[in-house]
Amino acid sequence: MKNPYYPIETLVEDIITETPTIKTFCLAPSRPIKFKAGQFMQLTVPGYGEAPFTPSSSPSIAEKMEITILRTGKITDALHALKPGAEVGLRGPFGKGYPMDAMEGKEVLVVGGGVGLAPLRSLIYALLENPKKYKRVSIKYGARVPEELCFRRLYHGWEKAAPNVDFRVTIDVPAPNWTEHVGLVTTLLDGLDLDLENSLSVSCGPEIMLKFVTLKLLEVGYKPPQIYLSMNRKMSCGMGKCGRCNVGHYYLCVDGPDMCYDKIKHVPNVFG
Amino acid sequence: MNFIDSTNFERFLKKLSAGGELFVPVRVGETGTLRLERIELFPLPDNLCLDGFRTVEPLKAFAQLLRYPVADYPSTEGDDMEDEKSFPSVVVAGARGCDLAAMQLVDKVQIEGEFTDPFYKIRRDKMLLVGADCSECGESCFCNLLGAKPWPEKGHDITVSKIQGGYLVEAGSERGERLIKENKDLFTEAREAQVKMREETRAKVVKDLEEKNRTYPKAEAMPPLMREALGDEIWEELAARCVECGACTNICPTCYCFLLYDQKADGSHFQRIFAWDSCQVTGYARMAGMLNPRPRLSDRVKHRLYHKYDYLPLSHGAIYCTGCGRCIDTCSASIDMREHFRRIREKAGSAKKA
Repeated sequence: MKNPYYPIETLVEDIITETPTIKTFCLAPSRPIKFKAGQFMQLTVPGYGEAPFTPSSSPSIAEKMEITILRTGKITDALHALKPGAEVGLRGPFGKGYPMDAMEGKEVLVVGGGVGLAPLRSLIYALLENPKKYKRVSIKYGARVPEELCFRRLYHGWEKAAPNVDFRVTIDVPAPNWTEHVGLVTTLLDGLDLDLENSLSVSCGPEIMLKFVTLKLLEVGYKPPQIYLSMNRKMSCGMGKCGRCNVGHYYLCVDGPDMCYDKIKHVPNVFG
Repeated sequence: MNFIDSTNFERFLKKLSAGGELFVPVRVGETGTLRLERIELFPLPDNLCLDGFRTVEPLKAFAQLLRYPVADYPSTEGDDMEDEKSFPSVVVAGARGCDLAAMQLVDKVQIEGEFTDPFYKIRRDKMLLVGADCSECGESCFCNLLGAKPWPEKGHDITVSKIQGGYLVEAGSERGERLIKENKDLFTEAREAQVKMREETRAKVVKDLEEKNRTYPKAEAMPPLMREALGDEIWEELAARCVECGACTNICPTCYCFLLYDQKADGSHFQRIFAWDSCQVTGYARMAGMLNPRPRLSDRVKHRLYHKYDYLPLSHGAIYCTGCGRCIDTCSASIDMREHFRRIREKAGSAKKA
């Protein structure tokens, strides 16, 4: 029998500074970890503890894994202080991952806010690996200021990936030398030219953003079953046993972390 | 049905104790409550009590320990589980219906599904459970409100019913059947009059339970009532006296929540600890950046009730309460779950009228 609480020894090979508060950790686990886009890992910083993160790298690569992390608490402080060569631990993958099958043949709308683009990057890799499988892939991303945008080096490649792929970026408030859109990410959802009947949306970001993106999507004509949200709750075991990550009667660690809005729309204070 | 006299019953327990650490209920203190005691030497103590009602300690504590290390990192064994032999075999005698039912509910979470907690599974597999009838109804007992009976109905290997001069004995599992068969010289066929004695006691306890709890609603009425728009007021009212100590969830035989945390050792070495946790405390669901989906105590009191009486019926097919009443006995603010049932019914009733 295997001990599911024991992490896989993992080497931090490289650390990329994405923004002043976000870093990407390029990891080499001591054995390959196969995961689906949207599934998450429990990352151990030895001596500090574990926290859940969704990889930002391609799900077709099992030997290496990248995880992009915002510095926001005890464990992420310790992570941000690490140097290449450090040792961490990984458990997982956990959760269902994004509904890849449901996206086939659909117009897929991907909406990200801030560090929320990290798990979506893994999804974007999966979608762009075979863009013909989807009628369209439309990516909308926003951050408060240009300095807080993640993965700027990748945008051009996404825009040019295939004729049926488009990418738009926005910042909340005007900034010098900024020529792209200005406004909350929800403003990129005004005048969507998607075939709504045949569309599916996936969003990841802070809960307040998820709330307003959901309201906007409903306003423009999406139905609750077409809306998927990456929900946030504290997690410990990752296996549906420790009890804390529930949204309604679902455990995000086994039923999510991406939840169809139709399943959770009745939950009081679903967005916290 | 089998009968075993008290002398032979002691012999039988002695034989069972060869298979693991034996725990039996003993009556203690002025209040006469039952506590589980480890028996290392025979004869059995004079205050052995296989009637009365459930012990203070919940049965879950034998399978899901209060706190224990689950990983030492790094380890040369990697993620291979330690040998099952290093886990003790345990024989618990005198487990009541409420505890046995609760154990099966925790099994559903920790064993069934995509993942199994191997620590729990091994300890569980190494438990032998001897159930016992209740001969009294405690002040806080309300198993009848859960539709259960005050005697073991499922989840036991063997169950005993105390009657004059000894016990009626029934098997509840193949293992139990085998153990009775292997020791058949200790048993005699039960006489009709003995079975009647049991039925009389059982009927009396059922009647007491119904009498004691006659003004309270049944637990099965809770899910539909709670799903009605009750508003915040009721939860604030139910939370008003709570001091957020977490005793109710710790002592609950069905509450299974836990937290993993790492203790810093030296360098990259650490020890991962598994410990019970309580949804009633502030930090339970708090995330980095001080985000908390249930910042108010009333949110957490509401969550406890929803989890037991609504969410778990939806996700695991059962109400996670067996009416043992320990949460009532342990509460330093005298909060009574049955009163919660009543207030929720009243509130839902008045919401409907309004």
